[in-house]
Amino acid sequence: MFGRAGRALAALWLAATLLLAAQPAAAAAAEGTIELRRGTVWTTVDGATHKAPVELSYHWDRQHGGRPGYATFELPFTLDAEPEVPWGIFVPRAGSVLEVWLNDALLQVYGDLASGNGPDYAKAPLYVPVPGHLLKPGENRLQVRIRADSARRGGLSRVTIGPATPVRTDLFESAYAWRFTGSVLLTAFSLIVGSIALALWLTQVDAAATGWRRRDSLYFWAALAEFCWAIRVADGVIAEPPLPWGAWGVLMATCYAGWATSAMMFCYHLAGWHRRPRMRWLRWPMAGVVPGTVVATALALHREEPYWLTGWLALEIGFVALFVGAFAVATIRRPNVGRLLVAAAALVTLGFGTRDWLVIRLSDAYGETTWVRYSSVFFGIALLLIVLRRFHAASVQARGSVAALAERVAQRERELASTFAALEQVARDQARTHERERILRDMHDGVGSHISSAIRQLQSGQASPEELLRTLCDSLDQLKLAIDSIHLPPGDVGALLAALRYRLEPRLAAAGIQFEWAVDEVPDVKRLDAQAMRQLQFLLFEAISNVLQHAQARTLRIEAEAPAGAVQLRVIDDGQGFDAQQVPRALAERAAAIGARLALESRPGRTVVQLGFA
Amino acid sequence: MLKPMNIEATDTGKTHRWGVLVVEDDSRARAFFEASVQRSASLFWLGSAGTVHEALAWMAQATIIPDVLLVDLGMPDGSGLDVIREAVARFPGCEPLVISVFGDEENVLASIEAGAVGYIHKDAAPEDIAQTIVEMKAGASPISPMIARRVLAKYRSLQLAGTLAAAPPEAALGNTTTAPSLLSAREHEVLTLIARGFSYAEIARLKGLSVHTVQTHIKNLYGKLAVHSKSEAVFEATRLGLLSHPG
Repeated sequence: MFGRAGRALAALWLAATLLLAAQPAAAAAAEGTIELRRGTVWTTVDGATHKAPVELSYHWDRQHGGRPGYATFELPFTLDAEPEVPWGIFVPRAGSVLEVWLNDALLQVYGDLASGNGPDYAKAPLYVPVPGHLLKPGENRLQVRIRADSARRGGLSRVTIGPATPVRTDLFESAYAWRFTGSVLLTAFSLIVGSIALALWLTQVDAAATGWRRRDSLYFWAALAEFCWAIRVADGVIAEPPLPWGAWGVLMATCYAGWATSAMMFCYHLAGWHRRPRMRWLRWPMAGVVPGTVVATALALHREEPYWLTGWLALEIGFVALFVGAFAVATIRRPNVGRLLVAAAALVTLGFGTRDWLVIRLSDAYGETTWVRYSSVFFGIALLLIVLRRFHAASVQARGSVAALAERVAQRERELASTFAALEQVARDQARTHERERILRDMHDGVGSHISSAIRQLQSGQASPEELLRTLCDSLDQLKLAIDSIHLPPGDVGALLAALRYRLEPRLAAAGIQFEWAVDEVPDVKRLDAQAMRQLQFLLFEAISNVLQHAQARTLRIEAEAPAGAVQLRVIDDGQGFDAQQVPRALAERAAAIGARLALESRPGRTVVQLGFA
Repeated sequence: MLKPMNIEATDTGKTHRWGVLVVEDDSRARAFFEASVQRSASLFWLGSAGTVHEALAWMAQATIIPDVLLVDLGMPDGSGLDVIREAVARFPGCEPLVISVFGDEENVLASIEAGAVGYIHKDAAPEDIAQTIVEMKAGASPISPMIARRVLAKYRSLQLAGTLAAAPPEAALGNTTTAPSLLSAREHEVLTLIARGFSYAEIARLKGLSVHTVQTHIKNLYGKLAVHSKSEAVFEATRLGLLSHPG
């Protein structure tokens, strides 16, 4: 994706280069036209008027050292016959404000000759159509009256008059396109590049992880450079600035300096000098360029002495040349595509800037336009390329870190899953161990103890067959209860009692004991787990067994109820009773183990064993 | 291992006498059951088998249809469940009872689903064994609270799934179209009370029914469980593509 963007930018660069190369071709003279070069000029400076022959172009600032004034150019020309097609006049450059007269008739007014430091019509080429009847065979006289502000490149270039078709369509329109339309396009381009850079500067906040600052100042300087440049270039379109010339001129020069400084700061960051303490001092002379320009321009315009600015610009160009040289050297030492592009653009721009300074500030050439305005496009493209590359790298890095993060999360998940599986395995093993322990304890307490007492009874030879039978029956009943307990839902006391009754009732019936069942539906006792359920079974078995063996009861009653949600179980018999103070140890221990309140009451005819669950 | 049949038994006694076949690998248990049967006036001894193989062979050559089959599940050469299935298929009037030491729900339910109509405890007194058989023939079926609880749980899960009534494979069996609702409201009521520990007599008193009606409900339930387990198997088989869909 980035490769495509890079190729597109390279193509743009190439196109800009070709356009620049093509520019001089547009200036070729057209057939049938007359170029007016010579005439007479009356100049008025500080109240004094002089008349002199003139050879155009006429560069006001160069002739009068920056003093404002008026001039009237009289340019004679001869026609063989009255023209049959419409004619027009092409003025490549004239200003600051002017009037155009032909044979003493006023053709066009650009601005007010009476007041100065207002509009500036020298920025765009002018075309004045000529009414047919004004031209006559023989001598004709074109008169251009100007008022020139100080250091505003006032004056008059060579003027071309001729049939409208070549003059307007060839000369004027191509010159207008280069000067006016070119400015609009350059402004738009700079605004776009600047906006992209600004948006990146505003939005690409981060990245503590990458070690950069919160915002990348590279983007900021790129944006500032392009915005300064946009304003500076837009000036070429604004014939009537909103500020008087003095303030406007300072503002434009400041934008120019701001562009240069921002571009240098961009290079400074691009070269990585901001991370090298030895290079930090560079920021101060760079920062000095802007106030220096403001002061020099203000002096030049206020005192109407352009050499202040010319001198300052020379200094500035010198400094920029040193900077660009240093940057070029740094680039050669540690090249990459972005730095090479910027270095090339900087060298070209430096060359053009020097040329512009020579041509515009020193030479007498008039009607020339700056070249830097075009070379700055290279700079903008390079800048855009760098910014996009930087953004691309950052987003690739971000994507990389997102992927890395996702990978880490997945890794954690896998670890967690395996830990969980291991824990589950441990829990399963533990549950199995517990179950095994429970069964062993069960066998030991229940069947095991019953069988061993049966063996002892047999060995002693004193037990009656009835006693032996009871012991063995107890053993089998215990086994059945143990099997039931495997399926008992934890806490379901109702199910436990039902199973107990089912298992034990045949024994009671065989013993001739009447059974009474008074079991309400009771809620589950939450804290009884499988182990506790088994304990409860033992406990009740024990209580019923006692009745069977010792009580000589006629009736056994089992009650269950849950007044106010607290489950209470009772085993009641009408046997002979026992000393309720002597709580059988097995009962007390088991009740304590499952957290049940055990209450005994006994008298002949009524014995109650009560278990309460709070 | 086949014992000679007691053929005189059929024509003595005024009431109908039921022929009993025992399938049990423990010879002492066999002797015990034989003694229990011989002692009863309502029963007569058809014979016994000590392995699944013998039992199947006996049934293949049987001239007298056994009315009652007592089957131990743990046989040396297979499961008593196979004997139950074969007996039910071969002799529609034959009612198998499972001999169980513990009357534990897993084995009993499996037997009932195979076609047994109840179970007897191995440690029951000899007269109780004969009585259980006679009562069973008269329409009773023993059920423990644990088994009742299990059946209720199964019924609840079936109701939740709601698949029973709609399951198309019922039609494939032809004779099992009556299976749709596993439990009637009354059966459900009776089962719930049994699960809570009430005896048949107590339930009859509570609900104003005769004990016989209560017993009949349970026996019907056993039959439904067997049928249901068959239709479930067919449904599963159809679902798995083992049988073609009837429609």
